[in-house]
Amino acid sequence: MTPDLDEIYRRASARDTSRPSEAVRRRVLEHAAAVAAGPQRPTANRARWRPAIFGTLAAAALAGLLIVPRVFNPQPFSESADTAAPAQVPPLAAPPLAGAPPGAGPGAGAPPLADSAPMNSAPAPFPPPQAAARSRAIAPAQGQTSASRDDVQATQRTAEASRSSASRLKAEDPSDAAAQPGAMAQPDAAAQPGAMAQLGAATPPGLVPRPGLVGGHPAASAEPASPPADPSAALRRAAETGDVERLRTILSSPVLVDAPNAHGQTALLLAASRGQAESVDLLLAHGADPNAADADGTTPLNAALAVDRPAIVAALRRAGAR
Amino acid sequence: MPDAGDSTVADDSDEALIGRYARGDAAAFELLYHRHELRVWRYLQRNLRDAATAEELMQEVWFAVARDARRYLPSARFTTWLFTIAHNRMIDSIRAHRRHLSLESLGLDSDAAIDQLSADPGTGPVAAAVARDEAAALIRAVEELPREQREAFLLQVEGDLDIEEIARITGSSFETTKSRLRYARTKLRQMLKEYA
Repeated sequence: MTPDLDEIYRRASARDTSRPSEAVRRRVLEHAAAVAAGPQRPTANRARWRPAIFGTLAAAALAGLLIVPRVFNPQPFSESADTAAPAQVPPLAAPPLAGAPPGAGPGAGAPPLADSAPMNSAPAPFPPPQAAARSRAIAPAQGQTSASRDDVQATQRTAEASRSSASRLKAEDPSDAAAQPGAMAQPDAAAQPGAMAQLGAATPPGLVPRPGLVGGHPAASAEPASPPADPSAALRRAAETGDVERLRTILSSPVLVDAPNAHGQTALLLAASRGQAESVDLLLAHGADPNAADADGTTPLNAALAVDRPAIVAALRRAGAR
Repeated sequence: MPDAGDSTVADDSDEALIGRYARGDAAAFELLYHRHELRVWRYLQRNLRDAATAEELMQEVWFAVARDARRYLPSARFTTWLFTIAHNRMIDSIRAHRRHLSLESLGLDSDAAIDQLSADPGTGPVAAAVARDEAAALIRAVEELPREQREAFLLQVEGDLDIEEIARITGSSFETTKSRLRYARTKLRQMLKEYA
């Protein structure tokens, strides 16, 4: 009974077209890109304080230059009162503050609050039940405050990061990367032999060549000098990210087109779930199995229905998907 | 920043990806996001039944993941951590929006209390009168489960979490969590039988 219920639920979820808006996805990814550039934060803080520190030192040096000669060469009181006072007052007040940022105070050099106490907003992976309940009890007040402060700082960085992120996305998929759920700017792992060595470990052993084994073109000789260690992993990645050029190159060499990853997902299923129509067409043209389901029983057709891609659904059905 | 030659790969585990992101590899986060986006979304949306609030929380959850990636402990499963954040954000939101409800009064530390909630008239018979097919009826039935049962069930099926992990996240005992799951499944199976 239980497996039936889970299975029905999964099927129901695959048909459910509800999903977060593209705007949420874009904001999250831009924010993440900005946070990834986080190490610059302390540097930025130091840079803001540098003028104040140097200003203070310069003022102290100036004061010293003015005061020391008078210590060694004292003059009548009335004369020093007229000349020394103006020279002493500014170094103590004006110069240091002139270079300081607005709101600078004695404690302003400390790191942002959110850096020092972020655990209020995100719990430890395994909090004991009582501790979790306690942390939830205080989270709305403290957690949200620190979270929003940190978010604001990250959002400021996002403004810069988003520009580069957006251009990166466009470079990956000129058609409209932001409109496609699976369009992601990622490093080109397929071009890196080291990454492929890792990918190879994820491919289940005992795979038998099926009709889906394609390739062997003369064009294979035009491959890079160091081909990936696991072409099927590179294939899945290219399919998932919609890198049609690379996909075409990989398919021109011998490769198991239906080789699954550790989750049982084939390149076709990944392409369908990410809405990569061109990848789907290319894989089907190279004999990919339209009914190869993953470990959860999700088929490429389920996945295409879930991401609401009628063109992919039609292509899969034409290829015999059930 | 990511190490040279330390490239993100689609087959990396969740734990490896969050580690890569913590070292500055933004592409690893994108993979993680795309891998779990719909699961987190369904957990929030089916619990809250309010797309606007779910969207807001979806953003907050993933912002928190990005911000606290460096504090993630590799000994814990990423999904446990992720759904802990999602659950807590959701509870915070419910507290903020429904202050007139005492969540503690719905603490449900006993089966009797669960029985009481199971008989909550608000859940109604899951006749799925408006559902046009079994799948839609099941989703609707899940959304109509009592809150604690729904949370536990969704954490299990969307978060792929076991009873112990669900108990930790929801701050409940192992037995209470087990009872909630049993009641939820019984109710859903009953609905499916009625529908058939």
